Amino acid sequence: MILYTAMPSEWIYQAEPSEYAKQKVVNFEGIPLLVEFTSGSEYRVIQVMSTDPNDFMNENIGPGVKITLS
Amino acid sequence: MDFEMNGNDQEQQPKEDKQSPLMEKIQQLGQTNVPQLSQDSKIHCLTIVGQIEGHLQLPPQNKTTKYEHLIPQIVAIEQNPKIEGLLVILNTVGGDVEAGLALAEMLASLSKPTVSIVLGGGHSIGVPIAVSCDYAYIAESATMTIHPIRLTGLVIGVPQTFEYLDKMQERVINFVTKHSQITEEKFKDLMFAKGNLTRDIGTNVIGADAVEFGLINEVGGIGPALKKLEELIENNEQQEGLVQ
Repeated sequence: MILYTAMPSEWIYQAEPSEYAKQKVVNFEGIPLLVEFTSGSEYRVIQVMSTDPNDFMNENIGPGVKITLS
Repeated sequence: MDFEMNGNDQEQQPKEDKQSPLMEKIQQLGQTNVPQLSQDSKIHCLTIVGQIEGHLQLPPQNKTTKYEHLIPQIVAIEQNPKIEGLLVILNTVGGDVEAGLALAEMLASLSKPTVSIVLGGGHSIGVPIAVSCDYAYIAESATMTIHPIRLTGLVIGVPQTFEYLDKMQERVINFVTKHSQITEEKFKDLMFAKGNLTRDIGTNVIGADAVEFGLINEVGGIGPALKKLEELIENNEQQEGLVQ
């Protein structure tokens, strides 16, 4: 089948089940974070999911920062 | 420190183990420093972004608002005496009706002052969430698409399905008309309007139009919204003072 479309492929094809396992919501020092697994016990912060504006000012958990979870 | 931004050089250079903290910060946040807030903000900020995720988990590349995650946060905001007001920022394409209505009901029943701002877009099920707050703002360039409820994919055309969808739609219409100035007739008119959306029925209301229809209270951004929230908090405190 050939699909002629301008839509990105990830909108058309279903994601691999393993993709779902990559991301998770964790509680890091009392702040809920959406993280992505990188390696070992290291995770990369994707989104800060707190409602406290102060948490967004915390440079240690900004998006892109790598954190270590035990 | 020298900052030669030579693309070729950077790619060829082996990754250094120890990057300068400044470089690291630029890579992480895209900026060098972040403004500091004074401790203990009494206003919390809830962001409704991307798709509103319902019973089905969306693939990770989607930006989603997870209602099972937001609801405990709203509970915590209600319970925490230090938090005096909530600012809701919307930029959503919509999503699950039940999850969206759940969030809207939670926000509407919050005893603390709430102000919402629609930035960019507050489409479909974002409409009830925007109107659920005590006062709603919309940015001048922001839009809200009002359209009938539908299922994505194949719709089985049997009367039961139709009735189920119709009842679901009633719930949305009731909520919106109850929490904003818009009349049921007007809202339904916008919902079933023809010719506004390509090959679809519904209306895309922009900034000032949303205010004109009575859906949103005022056109404005973060400044007026925070001012309004402070005002509501002050009123709230005065009322509490009278009760005690």
